[in-house]
Amino acid sequence: MSPRTLPADLAAVPAIHLAGVVKRYGTHRALAGVDLDVRRGERVVICGPSGSGKSTLIRCINALERHDGGRIVVNGVELTGDEGTVQDIRQEVGMVFQHFNLFPHLTALENCMLAPRLNRGLSKAQAVKLAMAHLERVHLADQARKYPARLSGGQQQRVAIARALCMEPRILLFDEPTSALDPEMVKEVLGVMEELAASGVTMVCVTHEMGFARRVADRCVFMDRGEIVEEGDAARFFEAPESERLRHFLAQILR
Amino acid sequence: MTNLSPADLAGYLRQLGEGALITLELFLTSFALAFTLGVAIGVATLSRNRIIRAAWRVYASIFMGVPSLLVIFLIFYGGSAMLGAVLGEFGSRIDISPFGAGVAALGIVYAAYIAELVRGAIENLPRGQFEGARALAIPPLIMWGRVILPQVMRLALPGLVNVWSFMLKETPLVSLAGLQDLVAAAKIAAGATKEPFVFFIATALVFIAFSAASLWVANRLEARLDRGQRRAPRSPSRAEA
Amino acid sequence: MSALPIDVALAWESLPALFAGLRVTVFLTVLPLMIGLMLAFPICFARMSPRRVLSLPAEIFVVFFRGAPLLILLYLVYYGLGQIEALREGPFWVLFGSPFGCAIVALSLNHAAYMVEVLRGSLLAVPHGLVEASEALGITRRNIFLWVRMPLALRYGLKAYQNEVVSFVKGTAIVSVVTITDLMAVANAIFEQTYDPFTPILCAATFYWAFVNVLRIGFQFWGRWLNRHSAEDAVAAPAGRTVTP
Ligand SMILES: Nc1ncnc2c1ncn2[C@@H]1O[C@H](COP(=O)(O)OP(=O)(O)O)[C@@H](O)[C@H]1O
Ligand SMILES: [Mg+2]
Repeated sequence: MSPRTLPADLAAVPAIHLAGVVKRYGTHRALAGVDLDVRRGERVVICGPSGSGKSTLIRCINALERHDGGRIVVNGVELTGDEGTVQDIRQEVGMVFQHFNLFPHLTALENCMLAPRLNRGLSKAQAVKLAMAHLERVHLADQARKYPARLSGGQQQRVAIARALCMEPRILLFDEPTSALDPEMVKEVLGVMEELAASGVTMVCVTHEMGFARRVADRCVFMDRGEIVEEGDAARFFEAPESERLRHFLAQILR
Repeated sequence: MTNLSPADLAGYLRQLGEGALITLELFLTSFALAFTLGVAIGVATLSRNRIIRAAWRVYASIFMGVPSLLVIFLIFYGGSAMLGAVLGEFGSRIDISPFGAGVAALGIVYAAYIAELVRGAIENLPRGQFEGARALAIPPLIMWGRVILPQVMRLALPGLVNVWSFMLKETPLVSLAGLQDLVAAAKIAAGATKEPFVFFIATALVFIAFSAASLWVANRLEARLDRGQRRAPRSPSRAEA
Repeated sequence: MSALPIDVALAWESLPALFAGLRVTVFLTVLPLMIGLMLAFPICFARMSPRRVLSLPAEIFVVFFRGAPLLILLYLVYYGLGQIEALREGPFWVLFGSPFGCAIVALSLNHAAYMVEVLRGSLLAVPHGLVEASEALGITRRNIFLWVRMPLALRYGLKAYQNEVVSFVKGTAIVSVVTITDLMAVANAIFEQTYDPFTPILCAATFYWAFVNVLRIGFQFWGRWLNRHSAEDAVAAPAGRTVTP
């Protein structure tokens, strides 16, 4: 179903290509012309002050928000208004939200099984096997039969990661995955994300966890007022920020 | 198409108007009774006394569990006998009118719903309200009248509006006990003129318009009460108690 | 002071007739509940549509059939539609050719209008984030509705649905005005034969009460089963609903 519209030689095209992307809310420009290329297997961390358009940016990549201008190309497929294209791209792009958004009426296991069963028509047994494998990956196989309300925040977020993984996406988007968590749970989620990063999946991650960014990111991107102000590899980004705005931002969050 | 003479039409319209007044009178009287009874019952049944609480549960279960029409018939047919049982010879000679039966029935039934709302609202009041009033040595009657009940009413207002419009839609039931209200007049006019659509739809629209108008008033009222609330912010929860 | 005069012998004799009346009441509850629910879905979708050509007629439907007293709706269908020769003779004779048909039409339309609002409220209560999470997983809109929005809406709306069903059952007591012998009509008929103002009506009251409470208990079990996943007793519905008669 999903690979139908994908170009044959995936390795040759960037995972994500954004050119001059604009998103407006009324007269307010949440994205004021963003250019960004993400290579296959690359791990990009996006940071920036609240309201700078980070969420809007990654939500445009899987068409949760529709962009008003510019081009978005994911896996070589341009995102247009066409519903079929949107569906295809979403199969390839997993997303993890700040507030987990687990389905409260389904167990952890059923949360993970839902999309594979509905989208790929897997049998129940196949879906269980797949879901258990990914729950294992986030170290939650023993919690599979529990409902989200009975899991801790960190466990819920790891289930949400497993749920995204079950669609076996080539690209993973994270929107502040740890900022709704109590400090003691941040580590378990970041740990899982680091293991994922090591597996070679393409990751775009909005986070203010600077330690994580240093360890994992190939590239860091700083956004402010709907624009990309500065980008660079993690070491240079933190040690030698060029723009005044990034220096100011880093001073604030590291304080 | 219509073969109504202007004189006939005027006659029916007058009957409808009179019927509408009776419906309005019935509705307002019943609501006033239900409200008074409901608030009294709601406050009284907060008591810790187990017998009072059990009686409340039986009362609520019965009157929330049977059709209002049945209660209307019961009081209309059996009201004299019941009064006789309570008041003796004198009571059984009182004739129950459809209007009286309707008011009594709707009042008793809807008092149960209003009492439930009031109980819920009182339980949601910050406990500090009671203790504050007690600490200031405010007499109980004034405490309830000036401090507690106004706040209870504000909390219960959305529910009361609900009951109000639902009860309005049940007032036509009393026409089945013989009350010459709006719906009875519409039925007569519809039958005599062979114009059921005109009269029934018009009657329905009267109810809808009245309901919409009262909803509008309620919303204004709610907004005003909320504004008063915002100026004096309420303590966040009842945890302070 | 004497106790209320309940004639046990009369009550016993009346039982078969009362049961027959109860059967009619149950029938006139179940069928319109099903028809009304089926009507409510498309009307609710129209009501929630951003397109005015769809939402406006749906809104008018709801305002009229919810705002008009049930008795007037019944008169309107029975004396209005039911008396139109073309309707009675035509293909719709099943609906308008008999008091039963008319009562079912009126009750169904009324229930549908209430259910549109119940459904809409419940669907709007489903957190938007859950719909977005499903979209992000590439689940189609139809499947999101079937597997995420509807199951959750059912949980949020169950209490409102229960209230509507209970008040609907009580509402059916008016069908005797179009010559249907439901439970209320049976009690009235016995009263007219015996002039006993208490026995038949109190017996009917017991039947109604039992029916309503069987439904209540059924809903309670249903709710408990649906909410087995929740730490508390119920999924915390975002907007607290008050009791509805
Ligand atoms: N649905 C929306 N409607 C209107 N404005 C929005 C909406 N979503 C986001 N915005 C605005 O767009 C800007 C960027 O928001 P967002 O991308 O959420 O920022 P960030 O994730 O960096 O905090 C903010 O000014 C925000 O107020
Ligand atoms: Mg954000």
